[in-house]
Amino acid sequence: MNTKGNWMLILALSLISAPLVIMYGFQLIDSVSRPAPGGIIPQEWELTNWRFLWTSIDSARPSIWRVTFNTFVFASATALLVCAFSITAAYALSRLNFPARRFFLAGLIMLHAFPTITLIIAIFIVLQFLGLYDSLMGVILVKAALELPFGIWIMKGFYDSVPWEIEMAGVQDGASRFRVWRELILPQVKPGLSALLIFSFLAGWSEFILPLVLAPGADAQVLATYMNAVIADDTRPDYGLFKAIGMFYALPVIAVYLLFQKRLMNIYGGGTKG
Amino acid sequence: MTRQTLLGLGFLSPALLAVMMFFLLPVVLTVVFAFTNMSTSTGILGGEYQISESDLRRLPAVGVGEDAVALLAGAGYAVQPETLALFAAEFGEDRAAELDKLHGGAKFDDQRAMERALKELRRNPLRKVRDRKTAADLFRVSILGQRFATRDDFALAITDLGVPERDRLALTEAAYTGWTFTTQNFELLWELPATWRYALNSVIYVVLTLGFNVGFGLFLALSTFYLPSRTAQTFRAIWFLPRILPPVLYVLMWQWLTWDQGFISAMLRPFGIEPINWMRHTATHAWTFIVLINGCVGASLGMILFSSSLRAIPETQLFAAQVDGANRWQQVRHVLLPQMRWPILFITSYQTLSLLTSFEYILLATDGGPGRQTEVWALAAYHTALSNYGGNLEYGLGAAYALALVIIGILLSALYLRFFKFSELVAKPRIEQ
Amino acid sequence: MRIELQNFTKRFGDTTVIEDMSLSVASGEMIALLGPSGCGKSTTLFAISGIHRIDGGTLHFGDRDVTRLPPQDRPVGVVFQNYALYPHMSVADNIGFPLRVQNLKPAEIKRRVGEMAELVQIGNLLARKPQQLSGGQQQRVALARALVRKPDVLLLDEPLANLDAKLRLEMRSEIRRLQRETGITAILVTHDQIEAMSMCDRIALMKDGRIEQISTPGDMYERPASRYVAGFLGNPPISFLRAEAKGQLTIGADNALPLPHGTAARGPITLGVRPEHFGPQHRGPSIAGQVSFIEPQGREDLIDVTLPCDQRLRAIVPAGHDIALGQPVTWQVDLSRVHLFDAEGARL
Repeated sequence: MNTKGNWMLILALSLISAPLVIMYGFQLIDSVSRPAPGGIIPQEWELTNWRFLWTSIDSARPSIWRVTFNTFVFASATALLVCAFSITAAYALSRLNFPARRFFLAGLIMLHAFPTITLIIAIFIVLQFLGLYDSLMGVILVKAALELPFGIWIMKGFYDSVPWEIEMAGVQDGASRFRVWRELILPQVKPGLSALLIFSFLAGWSEFILPLVLAPGADAQVLATYMNAVIADDTRPDYGLFKAIGMFYALPVIAVYLLFQKRLMNIYGGGTKG
Repeated sequence: MTRQTLLGLGFLSPALLAVMMFFLLPVVLTVVFAFTNMSTSTGILGGEYQISESDLRRLPAVGVGEDAVALLAGAGYAVQPETLALFAAEFGEDRAAELDKLHGGAKFDDQRAMERALKELRRNPLRKVRDRKTAADLFRVSILGQRFATRDDFALAITDLGVPERDRLALTEAAYTGWTFTTQNFELLWELPATWRYALNSVIYVVLTLGFNVGFGLFLALSTFYLPSRTAQTFRAIWFLPRILPPVLYVLMWQWLTWDQGFISAMLRPFGIEPINWMRHTATHAWTFIVLINGCVGASLGMILFSSSLRAIPETQLFAAQVDGANRWQQVRHVLLPQMRWPILFITSYQTLSLLTSFEYILLATDGGPGRQTEVWALAAYHTALSNYGGNLEYGLGAAYALALVIIGILLSALYLRFFKFSELVAKPRIEQ
Repeated sequence: MRIELQNFTKRFGDTTVIEDMSLSVASGEMIALLGPSGCGKSTTLFAISGIHRIDGGTLHFGDRDVTRLPPQDRPVGVVFQNYALYPHMSVADNIGFPLRVQNLKPAEIKRRVGEMAELVQIGNLLARKPQQLSGGQQQRVALARALVRKPDVLLLDEPLANLDAKLRLEMRSEIRRLQRETGITAILVTHDQIEAMSMCDRIALMKDGRIEQISTPGDMYERPASRYVAGFLGNPPISFLRAEAKGQLTIGADNALPLPHGTAARGPITLGVRPEHFGPQHRGPSIAGQVSFIEPQGREDLIDVTLPCDQRLRAIVPAGHDIALGQPVTWQVDLSRVHLFDAEGARL
């Protein structure tokens, strides 16, 4: 009964997964081929869809390499900021005794659940005040700040799992709390830190709304807004081109995911984002 | 203060600063902005004071007296010592002396009369039209179209003009071009039928998507739970991808699937079905795909969480159920599901909040269309304040939309606190000094 | 170094776990804090180490008041139950960490780490990581790390609890050897009476945040200050009988013993008889009952005798007897070794 049951299950799962699989499949195929006019079956294999890499697809658009560089800077700067702020704040919340710690912890949990996107209008105006509107710097700061509660939450979980005795042994050996943190505790949470780094990088790489609203200019364009602009501007959709750009955009994401799958699953599952 | 306190606060402060800057401040500002008429035309910094020709007509309505309006509109050119001095600097002392002799103290109603006076100077007439225009401007005493940087400057100007005391306050307020505090955003929200439509759309969106997420997440978790691990992993990977793919690309795939030359149209053409844009054809089409697009992303979260809590259930319980003769459905119904209550509740409450406030996928998929049929509340806030076709971005009104979501967000995330064993979480650090 | 803890009080939030406790440990002495879990022994240890704040009272090491010193500034070495070795450091780095904190020269650190490793006999393991070591080896590393900066006081928190039985025996004598060789003042926290009795000069037996009795192992065993102490020490445990003292000691209706050496007690008391002081092989007044349980142990057997009043006495009888279950017996009690406690449990 179990084998028969399993086959039924696999059949059902395959059916409901079919649309996704078809989309993934044609995403791959269409980026390197040209379909028959009005049809979907690929006619010939070619790389013209990838022309955006070596020529400018239209005059007003910044070069793809400039945009890719921006995206890389945006994603890695946010990831580094999130990690840098999280490792200290999470340690303080997990291990140190200071006034109002309870209050900060409650605040952290609330922020963790709070839908940050509702604040975007106010943030838009704050950036205008600060003069950081339409700059990569501004979006980096905002993205890092909005990811921060999540980062602190994750890191706190990793710190919580380090045995207290290691910390106690450290202070008993004469080391200050700062030294204990840096030399004894930080090495224990390295796997968590690298997972958070990768996760925040991916989150920055995929981010769309923040750059769209806070840095719409050509100078600070990232791949998400670039691709969106290419799609929106075309009167006649060239899905081959769109998909090739999408492929180019998603390759690092997929590569990173495949490489660090195990580590990331922890965060995607435990962190509950979105 | 002990060293530990110092280190703790020191370690916390960078994060604290970021949170103040981009959470607390924006929350406060959302409240403040919701009570203003801030928009592109008022600017976000302060404004100036200015009365233009076109303003004159609306002045009586805001309580400025008729005679004051007449004053503002009326005689605009005067030959006075001050204006003469300006004229002398530009066009020479001789001319100024002559003008003073002929018209000293005179007032002219309009520019043409002033220009005629300049043209008719006997000894040194201004012959060029351009010169006369420039010179006439120098005698202008009307404040119409003139910009005043501060309230005091404006007050001085209208006092000089002779605007009666009782009209000055109303006039000053009417002249202000910057944003002001007002409650009309909320009155507007209350009155506009569209508001209710957006609220209803949000409810439809959240309920349908949530149902899809939880139901599908559960189905995926339960079905892959029973499959051999390799097969299960394949399906999990297929359903996990939407989560890590960039939203722009993910939605693009759906656009391709549904556009009038896309996959669905191509598949259906042999059956004689006209190609249409399956995502935007009607509101029903749009809603279906919005739920699918969001659902496939959300279902993976449910899948991951439910799978891990399923793995935590001891296998012996299933063996026991099997020995008792329970089939799979009965196992799921009576053994597994009852133990999934908490994760289900958790996902439900968590996603309610995030769905209610997120608009990224709808923006990319239908942008609220067709018409405004799929415009949810959060998207309306975005459109009003940050991206509207008219070009005048109404930050104040948008903030009023957002404020509703911020309040719901604060309430629900406070509720969310209850999901954690808070007392356990705040257990005192074990190193006391 | 002499340790003097006076009127020590410890609170966690609103609950006072230890109130007004005093303890003094002589220089070079090894003392055990013995008691069931939750009696406050670990709390006391962590207060001495500096990890817990002392809410009331004072702590002196020698003449120096260390009550308010943070753990970093106390000359204390601690060995934890799970050893708390730093997983990312080699054995040498683990042992050398306290010296590195003091900014000693690398050559000096290397020399002292080498010496310490020899002392605890792990000189050949210095390059390994902790997870490559057996439990006993990890324990030795932890000891070396605790001792390497030559502290005045060594604190051991259940150091043997994570070891298997054979290693536990070995490490018991090893720790005692190290303590003797270094002459360090040591406090051992344990819930195991055998550990406490075999390793320490004196035992402080704790109950509910108080020290019930503090004495040498022999004295505590021979002259327990209370019924609680008598019951805690000894394996197999002591048997208690409810008795009535009126000129003589009546136990139920059928048994009576003369009052031991000059006890003037009257009324209901508790008589404590250790199994090794009751049986057919002893001299003295006798108690009659029926054999209700026999547990062979090899060299000797444990035999329970149930008295007519339904109270039970346990005896250790050398193997090779022919006693059968249900057999009525009248055995002797070594009256000079029994213990009498009043209704509150205090020794008479």
